Amino acid sequence: MLYYAKTEALRMLRNRRYIIFVVLFPVVFYLINANIYGDQKDAGGVRMSTYLLVSMAAYGALASSMMSSAVPWAQERQSGWLRQLQITPLPSWAIIVTKLGAAMLLVLPSLLLVSAAAVLQQGVSMPAGQWLPLLLSLWIGTIPFIALGLFIGSLLSADAAQPAAMICMFALSLLGGLWFPIDAIGGTMRTLAHFMPSYHYANLGWNVIAGNGLPMSDVLIVVAWAVVLGGAAAYAYRRATVRA
Amino acid sequence: MNAIVFDHVSKDYGDVLAVDDVSLSIEPGKTVALLGPNGAGKSTSINMLLGLLRPSRGTVSVFGRTPRQAVAAGQMGAMLQSGQLIPELSVKELIDLVRKLYPEPLDLDEILKLADLTDLVKRRANKLSGGQSQRVRFALAIAGAPKALLLDEPTAAMDVESRLRFWESMRGYAAGGRTVLFATHYLEEADEHSDRVIVIARGKVVADGTAAQIKADVGGHAVRFTLGEQPAAGLDLLPGVTAVEVAAGTATLRTSDTDATLAGLYRGTTLDVRDLQLSGADLEDAFLALTRES
Repeated sequence: MLYYAKTEALRMLRNRRYIIFVVLFPVVFYLINANIYGDQKDAGGVRMSTYLLVSMAAYGALASSMMSSAVPWAQERQSGWLRQLQITPLPSWAIIVTKLGAAMLLVLPSLLLVSAAAVLQQGVSMPAGQWLPLLLSLWIGTIPFIALGLFIGSLLSADAAQPAAMICMFALSLLGGLWFPIDAIGGTMRTLAHFMPSYHYANLGWNVIAGNGLPMSDVLIVVAWAVVLGGAAAYAYRRATVRA
Repeated sequence: MNAIVFDHVSKDYGDVLAVDDVSLSIEPGKTVALLGPNGAGKSTSINMLLGLLRPSRGTVSVFGRTPRQAVAAGQMGAMLQSGQLIPELSVKELIDLVRKLYPEPLDLDEILKLADLTDLVKRRANKLSGGQSQRVRFALAIAGAPKALLLDEPTAAMDVESRLRFWESMRGYAAGGRTVLFATHYLEEADEHSDRVIVIARGKVVADGTAAQIKADVGGHAVRFTLGEQPAAGLDLLPGVTAVEVAAGTATLRTSDTDATLAGLYRGTTLDVRDLQLSGADLEDAFLALTRES
């Protein structure tokens, strides 16, 4: 199972689309924005270069979660690779759990690269007591999005999963305030943002850098989303692999 | 204990009966061909053996267990009809991935040798030709050293050369006392590469035995002549005749006794028999007769 997870991760790292959209995009986006707005401060007095670090790391993690789950999974289901695995001794639950684990591993490059860019290029500095909860929450908080990706991949054909995953990813990023701070946008958007798991997810990070620690309400909301989307993914997976 | 047992197995998809009350058993160590035209129920049978489909009625067992248990124990390997590889992984990575999922896999080198892939170890799956991909899929099927190997039309996409190499690989694997069941609609394959041929048509077993037995059972010979516009009624009642086919003015009588049939044809009918031909049946004739009759 470990080797399976390793090969899963390896194949995505060899996938050009993954590298460009998921690993490079957030870093480049971060560098552009931070160089324009980096010295401004938000309402709470946090430098924008740090605020954007959270936004872009969250965006990268979100994009990675969806990209490495939905489409590859739909393809494997359709192409017969899933059946090839189903006739090995690997139990059925292990397939989907490995997918989740590998997708989580694949979140790390964009998370760490955006952080590295922030430190090296923008001179962002934080005490370890902030870095640790920041990175951990942004890492573990991707579970609901990976579950969403697997849900899409179990439900739709590869052709349909591609746009569906893209739309979900953009909607979650935009409406969750990862591209533009929700405070900078109108009231409707702000209300909408509160319905997005992505907003609460990124809000974990924004609170940490503001020195507030992890807000319990957001943690609970992200956990609730993880349970709901995880349940949906498990249901769709069972449906997709059911023996008629 | 038998390697594979079907006990009154049926499978329907809605109104369509894909497998119709099939009972058969296969001893361990045998190489058996499942021969039948498209839509005969070959793939459905194989998928039931792997636990990918559940029979609507009856039971399937593999080495005395349910298919799922046999799969979980690592006793099954298969090359299914559709099955693409992961494009970004190399041949070695793919084989290793599957090997490591089985409790007692074959050595990597042995797999590479059996599947004739030694020169392609590092090649990525998306750079393989059609025939090469098939060899990799064969390698994945045998990687776990399964006691039962199921091949669903394994040579469908191969050229003649690849086919020869493929059957050689299959023999190499079967030689270790393993049970192999392969589905095919090519008669020569069934004839040349199996110990036993099970012919299925429309979900039923219509013949079962060695290729030679099947040829004999169906009526060893054929009597062919030009019938023209004359009525074919009564031909099936002639002595020895097992089946009658009339196509484009030519009648073909399958018979177990050529002499009796000819005597009956000349003495018992008033037909004007022209262009008379006699032939010994080959497996193809047998196959056509069997699958048409049912």
